[in-house]
Amino acid sequence: MRRTIVALACSLALTACAVPHERDDLTPRKTAASTDTVTTVIDRYREVRSSAVALLDPKPLSTVETGAVLAIDSGSFAVSQGSSTTQEGDTADVEVTDVEVPRFTKYPLWFSAVVRDRQLGVNRVQVFERASSVDPWLLTASPETLSGTELPAIRRADGAARTVGADDGVGMAMSPQEAADAYAAVLADPGAEQSATIADDSFIKQMRTTAATNADLENVTFSQTWEAQDVQYALRTGDGGALAFVTLLRKDTYTVADGLTVTWPEGSPQRAFLSEGISGSGTLSYLHQVLLYLPGGAGEPRALGQYGGVVGGEGGQGGGGATG
Amino acid sequence: MRTWWGWALSVLGVLLAAAGAAVMVVLGPDSRLSTGPHAIETDDIAVVTAPEVIRWADVKIDVRAELPARKPVFIGLGNTVDVRSYLAETRRLEVTSFDRPWTITTRAVDGAPALPGAPTALDWWIATSEPRLGGATLSARLPDESVSLAILSVGSSNLAGLEVTLAYGVNNGFLKGASTSLLGLAVLWVGVLAIRSRRRDEPDGDDLGDDLEEEVVYVYVDDDGVEHEISAEEAADLEVVDEIGADDDPPRPAPGADTEPEPEPEPEPVPTVPQVVVPGVLTAADIAAGRDRPRPAPDPHPEPERVVYVFVDEDGVEHEVGEDELAEFEVVDDETDDGGGRP
Repeated sequence: MRRTIVALACSLALTACAVPHERDDLTPRKTAASTDTVTTVIDRYREVRSSAVALLDPKPLSTVETGAVLAIDSGSFAVSQGSSTTQEGDTADVEVTDVEVPRFTKYPLWFSAVVRDRQLGVNRVQVFERASSVDPWLLTASPETLSGTELPAIRRADGAARTVGADDGVGMAMSPQEAADAYAAVLADPGAEQSATIADDSFIKQMRTTAATNADLENVTFSQTWEAQDVQYALRTGDGGALAFVTLLRKDTYTVADGLTVTWPEGSPQRAFLSEGISGSGTLSYLHQVLLYLPGGAGEPRALGQYGGVVGGEGGQGGGGATG
Repeated sequence: MRTWWGWALSVLGVLLAAAGAAVMVVLGPDSRLSTGPHAIETDDIAVVTAPEVIRWADVKIDVRAELPARKPVFIGLGNTVDVRSYLAETRRLEVTSFDRPWTITTRAVDGAPALPGAPTALDWWIATSEPRLGGATLSARLPDESVSLAILSVGSSNLAGLEVTLAYGVNNGFLKGASTSLLGLAVLWVGVLAIRSRRRDEPDGDDLGDDLEEEVVYVYVDDDGVEHEISAEEAADLEVVDEIGADDDPPRPAPGADTEPEPEPEPEPVPTVPQVVVPGVLTAADIAAGRDRPRPAPDPHPEPERVVYVFVDEDGVEHEVGEDELAEFEVVDDETDDGGGRP
């Protein structure tokens, strides 16, 4: 008797598989990208970037990158062109180790992928975004972490990665946007009141060291500002925190005493954007994409990785410089 | 318990059979319902369904859009998030509700008089028609997600004069209905079998107890343990050595009772019969031992063995003598009955 009942139950279950049914949830939702789409997008990006690196021409990158990443890469290409050096491209030993695909109710759609480059010893945590249904998938963020850096687990629901709103600070010491603003404030001023809420991580130390070096130039007054841009991408971590992709704008201003001109050596970013040097005042702009981890609870936000470079210069001799 | 399941299966079987038959009747052999063509008054370049219009999943739809003057037309089915983004800035006619067989409400949405890109160049459509002049047809199964249907004018024309024919149904629905009916009949059959089996195997004592008549069977068991049925008259002359009845079964613990582990199952008891032994009846062992006739039963109170004293004269003739005369004779031989004996 039991076998008969089990057989009947299985038959009914199989019959019900394709039975028309009314959906309970009518809210428009879409998983950002299928597995095939993710693979296609990443493969295409690597192909185009390889071509750009081979040609030392950043123009093809505009078909696969946008925003801060494109600006940083274009600046990097400009530096390489100015110094007649080659660009560092992806090595062959690259693999995608993790993909996080959220679900959205409207555009833009985005997903993140962790690409490990064993030869360079780095992990690139890349974000690809589709701004509208007629736009292509473009790389918009690509902070790098050391291969030994362990990324926090991402929380998922119904197979999709959970996202965090830029202003959503529930369960954390602060929201991603507040963390980005506080992080920029601490970078700009070590004595800022937000310094008590931000961990003194390696990126902050490195930037302070660089600033100190620039300030040591004789007959030059150096100043630096940091500004956080709007946070667009943040994933919920398993501990209730967030992994936020933060873009920071850094401006280094050099004021030179009257009658003097400051120049930089060949191959330096300053030389690429301020080729004639600075007499009077000049400013170099940098963009840094920081992967900021906000632990669940009251933990202090800290950077896990970054990707940045010079993107433009203003001032200098003759009143102008290149802009990436 | 078995009866309960039988009735449940029977009811389920009837319901399944009825549902399957209903599906077959409603859908018909082509497994779908058709309506149209229906005219849609618009001169926009897009007609699109709102998110809440298409509520069903796993329904097969066939949509045909026809335009006069061989104008190019395209039909696409996509996730509502994609379609809404695609047509967000486009002037369009939005279908806000739909009732079967064909009752729709619409609203006009202002926007740009052109599409943001060629629909054929997009990669997110779930299903599309081939772009044709004068008419296009889309066939798709509705997925389990929010989708919208878009009818788009391709090129510089518009959708004036649009007529839409809609068919919807279940893929192989007629076949599935027939299968469901057969499955229901099978379930019904199993249920009926279960009910009948229950009645045959375990009659309900309350209903049938008055009609029961106890039957007594007499058997004797020979030396080899073989039972032989005998009549009541024969049994009356024999000794009853054992009597087994249904009430003699040992009590069994209730299922699940918290008692000692259940002992090994014992063999089924012999049916309710008195067992008798028939002395003097040949058994298989007797036959095997060569005895061709029954032996008389031993005397339950045998007399003491009598000793006979015999005097043999010179001619060899034997004369019986009493015990009191024995003193006059010399006992020369002493034999048992088996061997004979002489004084």
